[in-house]
Amino acid sequence: MLSYVCRRIWALIPTLFVVSAAVFLVVYLIPGGPATALLGLEAEPSAVAALNAELGFDRPFLTQYADWLVRALRGDWGQSFFLRMPVLSALREYFGPTLSLAVLAQCVALLIALPLGIAAAYRHGTFFDAATVSASLLGTAMPGFLLSFFLMLFFGLSLRWLPVAGYAPLSRGLAEHLRYLLLPALSLGMVQAAYITRMSRSALLDVLHSGYIRTARAKGLSETAVLLVYGLKNAAPTVLTVAGQSFGSLLTGTIVTETIFGIPGLGMLTMGAISRRDVFVIQGVALFVALIYVLVNLAVDLLCAFVDPRIQLGRR
Amino acid sequence: MKKAYGILALAALLCGAFVLPGGALATEYREEMNIAITANPPSLEPHSVNSNIVGAIGSHIYEPLFAMNARHEPTAVLAESYDVSADGKVYTIKLRRGVKFHNGQEMKAADVTASMVHWLGASGKAKALLGDTVFTADGDYTVTMTMPEAYGDALSVLAAPVQFAAVYPRALAEEAAAGKGLSACVGTGPYRLKEWKQDQYVLLERYDGYRQPAVESSGFAGRKGALTERLCFRVVVDPATRVAGLQTGQFDVVEDFPADRYAELAGDTTLKLRAKTSGTLNMFLNTTKGIMANRKMRQAILAAMNCSDVMLASYGEPDLYILDPGWCNPDDALWGSDAGREYYNQNNPEKAKKLLAEAGYENEKIVLVTTADYAEMYNATLAVHDQLRKAGINAEVQSYDFATFMERRSDPDKFSLFITSNGYNMTPVQLAVLMKNWAGLDVPEVPGGIAAIRRAASPEEASKAWAELQRFLYEYGAAIVFGHYSDVFGESARTEGVDLQRFALYWNARVTK
Repeated sequence: MLSYVCRRIWALIPTLFVVSAAVFLVVYLIPGGPATALLGLEAEPSAVAALNAELGFDRPFLTQYADWLVRALRGDWGQSFFLRMPVLSALREYFGPTLSLAVLAQCVALLIALPLGIAAAYRHGTFFDAATVSASLLGTAMPGFLLSFFLMLFFGLSLRWLPVAGYAPLSRGLAEHLRYLLLPALSLGMVQAAYITRMSRSALLDVLHSGYIRTARAKGLSETAVLLVYGLKNAAPTVLTVAGQSFGSLLTGTIVTETIFGIPGLGMLTMGAISRRDVFVIQGVALFVALIYVLVNLAVDLLCAFVDPRIQLGRR
Repeated sequence: MKKAYGILALAALLCGAFVLPGGALATEYREEMNIAITANPPSLEPHSVNSNIVGAIGSHIYEPLFAMNARHEPTAVLAESYDVSADGKVYTIKLRRGVKFHNGQEMKAADVTASMVHWLGASGKAKALLGDTVFTADGDYTVTMTMPEAYGDALSVLAAPVQFAAVYPRALAEEAAAGKGLSACVGTGPYRLKEWKQDQYVLLERYDGYRQPAVESSGFAGRKGALTERLCFRVVVDPATRVAGLQTGQFDVVEDFPADRYAELAGDTTLKLRAKTSGTLNMFLNTTKGIMANRKMRQAILAAMNCSDVMLASYGEPDLYILDPGWCNPDDALWGSDAGREYYNQNNPEKAKKLLAEAGYENEKIVLVTTADYAEMYNATLAVHDQLRKAGINAEVQSYDFATFMERRSDPDKFSLFITSNGYNMTPVQLAVLMKNWAGLDVPEVPGGIAAIRRAASPEEASKAWAELQRFLYEYGAAIVFGHYSDVFGESARTEGVDLQRFALYWNARVTK
């Protein structure tokens, strides 16, 4: 197990290297530099060129990349031109809201999806099953921004229960923190719930049609025991994998929701960095996202092996 | 009966508790005003950044020597008075005494000269218009401004609200001039920076050491009451969220209120929607490269334009724009001009086709570069594209993100025409269209016209010189004004005293509880 974990972490190095080179190249090739965004709409091109030169963006690609790489290996991921802070500090600061949002959204998703998925599988072929499948298809197809606006109109504008935008850090108290996160978390969680419901229903259905379930029933075990002890346990690796993927996407793909609700998380940082050509931040976010994906996948694999010992990680 | 008297007495007592000695009902005001803004400011250094957001927030923190009042006249702010030499080249500016920076240090002439040196280096327009001007300190409270020529608009340039000539403490100004940026936001304004949480908010708090000028509030000048303890500029990128936040009371003011919601919400009594004519929507033509270098070609494009349709496509609501060919505010007695009207809003595809034939046009591709980051610019480009196609021009829209668009529009090899919205300037010589680096317009008539305006012996002569230059822009087919747009500000009905100038000013504003 330990060697498997070490190998997975070791494999991160080429992944991060390739990601960093690719992102740096893409940013290098697209026109416009941070100076344009810094100096504004009516900035003189000569002033833009001068600032780009001052920032070192007039140098050849390889020189810029090598310079960045050497500093990154020393733990210096560069400085944000706009945030006026080191990239690593920016990532730390902006990751907090995203992590809170992702955890809350994942809770929402699991609270909706697991009971629905289990019930739909158990009542396979009934009206309830058909309604759940239809609702989950609708949820998967619905654009996140549309759901966000519906929720904002209903809970924010009509009922006035929740703020429509902004963020309160945990230091202002858990209740205030959750009050600002609830709407975006609902929006993200409901979309994820649709996906997890569909997948957990399918996984459980497969299990419920297997031989050992038939045997368990033949032995006279109660339906609850069949469902929870045999059914769920055997469907767990699939559900965990899906939930893990969902959590990974929540941690790294909340750009639209964060923008709509004004959550200063990784999504907003990414959007801002791209539009401002804040090169080192773009680079930092890309590496961080790659890192998160690999680590979340690793955690899911380990969890699956723990839940189902038949899965022997890294053993041939 | 006794019970009734008791109730009446109690009611009278309760009413009394809410009545001031003067008899007026006491109104309670909130300590914080929440203002939804569209983007995180790129910096809070007004000298170098040409952005309304930076100017708007910065105006509450920093002050210049002169600023424009509500009648667009340069008015003393940190200056006490000034004298002009007989030849018009030397301004001797007396400073107000006892003005303190937010760090407690008194503002003196050395701070002003250091700040002006940085401003002349950092602001492109300042460099272009006053770059050869020298500022010297004469004692602690006198600054001398020496220009090589008598520029009639010198004070107007000093009083421009965007990229404005803010006065910083000397040490900060010198540090900034050395290319190290502004390390702290320290000004003399009625508010000081309390906290800037990137991508979330900029929080200003009242500066208790602020020394009020003796004159009444007017535009960017005069008394600044700092009536609300804290101003919080909250970054809310999404327009629908800004509007929802205003409706729910989370925000007191929404800047850049989406024009497409104006008609829907104009009748909402809980809101105040105010539209203010703020600038022009313009099309700039490539005058230097390829087929576009042909004047008849450019005139064909002008002939095809239906400005009314373009403005409607851009702003969606006829109340939010006016049609006028002038590059300056039509209400401006000095600079408002309709010179070149015959080339404006022609809407004549047949004339365009005739001119195309005369230009020898052989279906070459005309590239319209734009960005979807500014909706009005993008929508206008699509409308123009349609009109050009109807006139028989092989037009193609190329849409980029903002940074790429800016790069494309500055390179004559990469565009045939582009459209931008531009806020009003204090004087026409500050217009982007006259800058060679903006759209490549490089003909002697432009610097000649600018010189004629700046050296004019009287305002009337300057006004005439500008009208001639505006006419030339149309005749040469360098650019066209589609119309004048209004910025919409959304306010809660509970706000008072928000002053709309080039942008909203909040120093005399407050919001009831």
